[in-house]
Formats: sequence, structure tokens, C-alpha cells
Amino acid sequence: MSQSKTQDEGKENIYDTAKCRLLRKYKLSESDKLFLFRFEDPEIATNWRFKPGQFVEVSLLGLGEVPISICSSARRMGFFELCIRNAGRVTSQIHKLQPGSLVGIRGPYGNGFPMEQFYNRDLLLVAAGLGMAPLRSVFLYAIDNRWLFGNITIINSAKFGNELLFKRELEAMKDIATAEDISIVQTATRDPDFKGLHGRATSHFEKVNVDPKNCAVAMCGPPAMYKGMFEELIARGYDPRYIFVTLERRMKCGVGKCGHCNIGTATSWKYACKDGPVFDYYAITSIPGLI
Amino acid sequence: MRYVKISKQNTYEFLERLKKIGTLYAPHKISEKFFDFCEVDDVKDVMFEYQRTIRPPRRFFYPEREVLFTFDTRKVELYENLPSDKKQILFGVHSCDIVALRTMDSKFIDDQPDPYYKSRRENGIVIGLSCLPDEYCFCNVRRVEFVDAGFDLFFHELPDGFLVRVGTVVGHKLVDPYEGELFEEVCPDDTENMSKFEEKRTSMFTTQGNWDNLRYFMELRLNHPMYIRESEKCLGCGNCTLTCPSCKCYDVQDIPSIDGRTGERIRFWDSCQFRSHGLVAGDHNFRETKQDRFHNRYQCKNSYCSATTTSFCVGCGRCTYFCPADIQFKKNLMEIAGYKGGYS
Repeated sequence: MSQSKTQDEGKENIYDTAKCRLLRKYKLSESDKLFLFRFEDPEIATNWRFKPGQFVEVSLLGLGEVPISICSSARRMGFFELCIRNAGRVTSQIHKLQPGSLVGIRGPYGNGFPMEQFYNRDLLLVAAGLGMAPLRSVFLYAIDNRWLFGNITIINSAKFGNELLFKRELEAMKDIATAEDISIVQTATRDPDFKGLHGRATSHFEKVNVDPKNCAVAMCGPPAMYKGMFEELIARGYDPRYIFVTLERRMKCGVGKCGHCNIGTATSWKYACKDGPVFDYYAITSIPGLI
Repeated sequence: MRYVKISKQNTYEFLERLKKIGTLYAPHKISEKFFDFCEVDDVKDVMFEYQRTIRPPRRFFYPEREVLFTFDTRKVELYENLPSDKKQILFGVHSCDIVALRTMDSKFIDDQPDPYYKSRRENGIVIGLSCLPDEYCFCNVRRVEFVDAGFDLFFHELPDGFLVRVGTVVGHKLVDPYEGELFEEVCPDDTENMSKFEEKRTSMFTTQGNWDNLRYFMELRLNHPMYIRESEKCLGCGNCTLTCPSCKCYDVQDIPSIDGRTGERIRFWDSCQFRSHGLVAGDHNFRETKQDRFHNRYQCKNSYCSATTTSFCVGCGRCTYFCPADIQFKKNLMEIAGYKGGYS
């Protein structure tokens, strides 16, 4: 694709894709699967980098492209993972792919979480539903660079227990982590039969082991959750400069051209794909229509 | 800046010679009421006085529909389908449309340039033409009624020809071969006449002043009743966005061949007024109602383009002129901002 070839040619087609082979797929829930991809071109596979919170456009020729958050660690190179929900025309076909199949990938796109700003701080990660996908990338990044971060709390929530993404992985990590410096909270909001914690993320603050004054917060979930969490976080003394959320929009092109993911108002007109999808507290609270 | 003069008669000869450089497009009268940029066959058909073309000039650099790639589904490969290097010359572009092209440039030729648009822009020659406004025009309050950049040549109407501003090296190269033959020196009378033309033009606008604070009032009055009243009239046809010189939303679709082995990845103009614009998988729509979409366009068009330091709306009047529901964009914006004076 473009990235290696084009530099020699001095030309680059931003819409061109690179071939990726599906190596493994795992079932995460009834509707979500985890896909492990590797670039066919060894040069791209070695040099391709991304930041937690960024996304790629997955292309199935003849069907089209879909934007998907990368959910693997940015520090584990040579492959990447995508958690994909069977929700639409393209994703339903991706779910049918067998290992060995080829897809087209372009990206990574979006600003991603500003991980450098998070260094030397505690981390509070709050995910709801599919929001766990981009936050897994943040979480694994922090685990892979453990010395750069303080205490970590991750709250993974879903309506039902069997919809909790990466539930077993997070449970397994509990054993690896030192009990005091990593807190893993998994909760179901509407599942009385779930054998675990119940209620929304906001009702489990007693399990949060971070210092609000020196903590970075990353959230991914529905806009309603952000509103509730913002109030809760500010009331508990979290620094608004270090509260970040990621937004979902129809990110068709990924490069700020096609206009579908536009958000905001006249003085703050944004494209979620290029100006976002990660926005800070002040952007969210000052620009109408973001959440 | 270099200034030259050309007589009306020599202008026809100049157009004739432009046809040898590339495909020449200029405004033509295509029906009783409408004008459009058409390929020039007989230079005598070129219209020097027109208010607005039905289709905006952006289509020459960013066509309504184009094949981005062809593909092979078995090899999983895309094959670029870049535009040819043929020169396109646009004659008779008004200042509003020139600024609109520059707003498009700011998005399509940024740090991740669109190769299709960029290539056509690089192979394009833009020749501006002065105009007199009608009641739909409000480029003056948008501060784009007189352009400084974005044209290779700009023709200003004089009683006996045109005063031509040369904007780029490409413009110099167009004038050089005909200096003394078709183009002559500008004399003080010509400058005087241009001055008079500009004075007349300025007085003809039905709105005066500037709308620099408009976007702030739009935010302070997000829930203005105008949005409800006017969006109820809206048919959601998308005419306003398709005729807009600065709208750039597009959609992309894969069209497979009948056997599914090959196909084309095409892109085509989309409109934020269509329900599908904000629709994502799972049937969730980020702009669910017609009012949401109507509001979205008003915010987008009035947002700030840092490259031109203007809004994306250039006040060409197309969205109102071609609206089948007679929704008055200019009037509605004045209502939101509380501008009273100057509107007739």
C-alpha cells in the first residue's frame, strides 16, 4: 500500500488500503468477536504504529468500509486486534470471515488518547458496552508501560453479564496485578442473575484506588454515561483538564473530508474522525451537541 | 499585482485561444432563468453577465460522481483511478465561488490531501469575472465580494472591455504571449471606470455592513424558533447543499460487477439534508429529525474557515434561489442574529 510504496513514488493516495490477513478470531459475546490481523507487507507490519483511542477503516471489497477502534496494545507490534460487533451490512460479513482471509486496512486515524499527558498519573478507565474496545488499548498500553503510570482502576460495565467484553481477560489480569495498585471492577447494570457486581460505574467509586488530584480519566460509553460521570468526577475533585472521552459518529472517510462525522456549532465545527474521536472535558461541556 | 486591459472584442479572441490550452468552460444561459458552466463551443455564447450558475464550479475539481478505485475481490486489491492531466479552464467565476473553492482547498488539500481533487486543482485555471448582485446576493456581508487570491486572472467589467488583474504565475503566462496584441496597458480612465463599477456594485447589495458576529449569535440562540418554523417547510431534497459552492460531503460505495470478481469504488456528492447522512449501524441516527439536519447545515455553513478567515457560506444565494420550498437562508440568518437594517 501507500505507506511504504508511496514514499518512493512521492505520491500517496490516502484512500488506498493495505492488505491484512485475519489470523485468529475469538468470540467475546453473542454479538462481538475479537479479530487478530497482521499486515501482509512485512515492512508495514514492522513499522505500523498507532495510539490508544485511534481507529482504522476496515475495507471489504464490494461491500465498503467501516471505522473500528483498535483494541490491542500500541506497544505490541506486528499485529493488531479489532473488537467488532455484528451490527450492520459490513460488520456482519466481517464476522463470517475465516482465519486466512484478507481485508483492506487504512489508518490509523483520529487523535487518540494523549497518553504522554497521562504519564506519572493514576489512571481511571471507565467503559460501558463496546466502549471497552478502545479502552482495552489504553489499559494494555498502561500495563505494558507500567512504570509510567500510578495506580490504575478500570471499570468495565455492560447491561448484561454475558455482554461484558474481555471479562475473562480482565479477571485473569487480576491475578497478575499487584492487588493494591490495580483495581478491576466489572459490573452489570440490568442483569439480576449476574454473579458479580451490579449497577452503573458511578455506584462503584469505593473500589476506585486512584488519587483524584493526580489522575487521568479516559471514558468510552454512551453520552448519557458521560453526563453522569462528569458530575460525579467533578464532585469528587478530579481535575477536568485530565478527563477525556471518545465519541462515536459516522466516520466514513477517517481523514476529515466526507463530512458525515461533523459535530459542534458555528464557532467550533469539528470532525470526529480528525479533531477527535477523543475530546477533553472542556470541549465536551462547551460545544453543544457533542454529547 | 500586474494589471492589463482587454477590449470586449479581444476577449472573444482570448477565449478562442484558451480553448487550445485545455477544455474551456464558461457560463451559458441554459434555460429561461438558469445559467450553468458549459464547455465553450462558440465563444459568442459565453455570458458575461449572470448572477449565479445552477451548479457550483467545485464540480470541475470534485465531480458529482467519480470512480476512486477499481478492485479485484479475489486478489483483494484496489487499483487507483486518478484523473487525467488534462487542463480545465474555468472562465467567468464570480468572487464568491472563488472563495468557496479556497474553502474546499482548505479541507481537501490539507495535511492529508485528497489526490483526486488536488490533481484536478493543479490542472485547473480559474479566471474570475466581476458581477452585479441581485437581491439573493450577500457576499459583501460575508467579506468575499472582492477576492485577493484563488484566481489566475480576474476580469473587471469596464464600459469598453475588462481590466484584468493577474493573480498567479499561470496568469502571467496566459497574458505574456498576447501582451500588446490582445492585452494593452491600463490607463487612468480604466481605473476610474473600475472605481465607478465597484461603487455602483457596492450600493446595489440589499444588505450592508458585515456579519462577523453572526456565528456567535447562532450559538447564543441555538434554540431559536426560526429553526422549527423553517425546517417544517423543508422538503429535505438537498438542493441547497448540491448547489452550494462550498458543500463537500460525499459518500462512498462499492459497486461490484455482476460476477462479484471486480468492481468500482465510487464516490458521489452526499447531502447533510438526507436521513442517511448521520445514520450508523444498528439504525442509530446522529441527526434523526429533519430539524436536526436543518440546524446542522446552518451551523456548518456559518462555521469559520481559518484558511480564508471567512465563513464557509460565501453568500452566493444559490440555496435560496434554488429552494423549492422558498426557504430564505439570508433572511433566516438575519432573524437569528437580530440584524434589521439593510434588508429589503
